[in-house]
Amino acid sequence: MNLVEIVVLGSIIGGIWALVASGFSLVFGVARILNFAHGTYFALGAYFAIVLDRELKYLMPELPSLIFSIIFSILIVGLIGVAIYKTCIKPVRKYEVMVILITLAIALLFEKILLAIFRDTSVSVPFPISGVITVSGIPIPYTRLMALLVAILIIILLERFINATKTGKETIATSQDMEASMLIGIDVEKVYTIVMFLSASLAAVAGILYSQIYAVNPQTALRVLIYAFAIVILGGLGSVRGSIIAAFIIGFMQVTVSIALEARWAEIAAMVAIIAILIVRPRGLMGVE
Amino acid sequence: MKASLYIAISLVIAVFAVMPLISSSSIAYMLGLAFIFVVYCVSWDIVAGYTGQVNLGHTVFIGIGAYTTALLSSGRIGMHLPIWITIPTGGAIALLFGLWIGVICLRLKGYYLALVTAVLPLIFIQLANIFSGIFGGYEGFSVGLSRGFSPDISVRYYIAMLFMLVSIAAMYAIVKSRMGVKFRAVRDDEELAEAVGINIVRYKLIAFCISAFFAGMAGAMTVHYRLTVGVDLFDIPLMLAVILSVITGGIGTFYGAVIGGFAIFIAKNWFFRMLADALPVPVSDDLLLYVLLIVLILKMPEGVVNRLEAFLSSRSQ
Repeated sequence: MNLVEIVVLGSIIGGIWALVASGFSLVFGVARILNFAHGTYFALGAYFAIVLDRELKYLMPELPSLIFSIIFSILIVGLIGVAIYKTCIKPVRKYEVMVILITLAIALLFEKILLAIFRDTSVSVPFPISGVITVSGIPIPYTRLMALLVAILIIILLERFINATKTGKETIATSQDMEASMLIGIDVEKVYTIVMFLSASLAAVAGILYSQIYAVNPQTALRVLIYAFAIVILGGLGSVRGSIIAAFIIGFMQVTVSIALEARWAEIAAMVAIIAILIVRPRGLMGVE
Repeated sequence: MKASLYIAISLVIAVFAVMPLISSSSIAYMLGLAFIFVVYCVSWDIVAGYTGQVNLGHTVFIGIGAYTTALLSSGRIGMHLPIWITIPTGGAIALLFGLWIGVICLRLKGYYLALVTAVLPLIFIQLANIFSGIFGGYEGFSVGLSRGFSPDISVRYYIAMLFMLVSIAAMYAIVKSRMGVKFRAVRDDEELAEAVGINIVRYKLIAFCISAFFAGMAGAMTVHYRLTVGVDLFDIPLMLAVILSVITGGIGTFYGAVIGGFAIFIAKNWFFRMLADALPVPVSDDLLLYVLLIVLILKMPEGVVNRLEAFLSSRSQ
C-alpha cells in the first residue's frame, strides 16, 4: 500500500463527498430535515447531464454541449430539490419520522424510474479532456485532478456564501434559532427554499464529477446516501465545516479499505463507522440536537 | 359489540379455511405469504406503535431468522437439521439480535435512532454479497423442495395460516396484558412512566425481544414456505411495505397492522401487478407501492383507520 496513492485518490473522492455531505448537513442544520432522497439528486445530476449532452451534441460542438448540459442539469436538479421540498417534505415537516419515510419512498421511487428508463447499466459523463499526470509513480488522469479542483473551488464558494452574504447570514441565523429569526424579520421559508436548492445542486455537481471518473447506475443513489450519513455523523449533523473535514477522512478511509481489502468492504466500513460512532456518542461527534 | 366482533373474526377465519378448496393454487400461495407478512407487520407494531421507537431495521430480524433456518437445514454448511428445530432457532437468534439492537437503541433518539436502524440491514446485505459462497449473494439460494413444509401448496397454506393465528393471538395477549399497558406508558411519556415506577429500560428491551422473536420466526417460516432465501428479506423495499401496511392500518392499534398488512400485501402482489401490466408505461408494482406510500403520508400522516375512526365518531356525536 502506498501512502501517496491513498492521499491522492482519497482527496479526490473526499472532495466529491464534501459536496454531497455539505448540502445534506446544511439542510439538516437549517431546517432539521433528514433528507433520505439526497443521494437521488446525486444520481439525477449525472443522468440529466448524460442525456442532455447526448441530445445537444447534434446541435453544437462537443465542449459547449457538455458545458450547457452540466449547467442545465445542476439547475434542473436544484429545482427538483425545491419541488420535492414544497410538495412532499413541507406538509409533513413536523413529523420527523414521516419526513424520513417520505424521502426514503421518493428515493426508491426515483430508483425504479431510472431503472425503467436506463435499465441496470452503469453510465459515465464523457469528458473531452484526456491525459495523465504522474505524481511519484502514481498516474492521475487530468479528469480526476479537475474534479478535485472543481470540488475545492465550490466548497470555498459555499463557505464564502454562508459567511459573507446577507442570505448566508440569514441561513446561519435560521439554523441557530428559527423562532428568533422569524421575529427579526427573516423569511424562514425563503431560507429553506434556498438551502434546498443549494443542497440539491451541490449533490448534482458531485454526481457529475463522480460519473466522469467512475460510473453511476440507478442504485448509486442509496450507496451515496450511506457515505453521506457516515460523513455527517462523523462531522456532526448540521455542521457544514465539520462535514467537509469528515468527507476527506471518510474518503481516505474508503480508499484505504478498497486497496487493502475490496471496494465492497469500504461500504461496510462506512456503515460500521456510523453505528460505532453513534453507540459511543449518541448525538454524533459534534452534532446539533 | 364484543359478540359481533367474535362472529366477524370467526367468519373471516372460516372464509380463509375454505380458500384453498375454491381458489387456484397460485392465489392460495399468495394468501399464505400474506399471512406471514401480517406477522412481520404486527411484530413491527409492537416496538414502533406500542413503545414508540421507530425501528427502521426490522428486516434484520426477518432476515436473520430466514438465513439461520436456511443454513442449518439445507446442508449448505453441512448441517441437515429438521426444520422444526431450525425455525425456532431462527426465532431465538433473532431474539438475541433484538436484545442487542434494543440495547443500542436505548441510548439513541429521533433521527439518530432512525439512522442506525436504517443502516443495520444494509450491512447484512453487503455481508451476504461478500460471502456469497455461504449466503448465495444477492440472489440467495434454494433450500430444496424436501426442506419445504410440504410439496402440496394447500398444506403449506394451512401451516402459514396456523402460524399467523397463533402469533397474532400470542402478541395480542401480550399487548392486552399489564405489560402492554406499560409499553404504552413508555411511549406516551417516558419520564412519567419512570416516575410511577415502570422500569423503562426493561420494557423497551422486552418489546424489542418480542418483536424480534416473532419477526425471526416469520422470516424462517417464509423460507420453508417459498423454498428460497435471499437478501430481499433484509432489504429496504420490504421494510417500507411493512411500514406502509402499519401506517395504513393505524400505528399502535394492533388490528390496524393485521388489516393493513393483509390489504397492502394483496394490493401489491395482485392488484398493483395487474395494474402495472395494464398501464401503457413500463411501471412495476414496487413503483406503484412507493407512489401510494407518498400519497398516503401526505394525505393522512395519522393513518387510514385512525382517520376513519375520527370520521365515524364525529358523525355519531
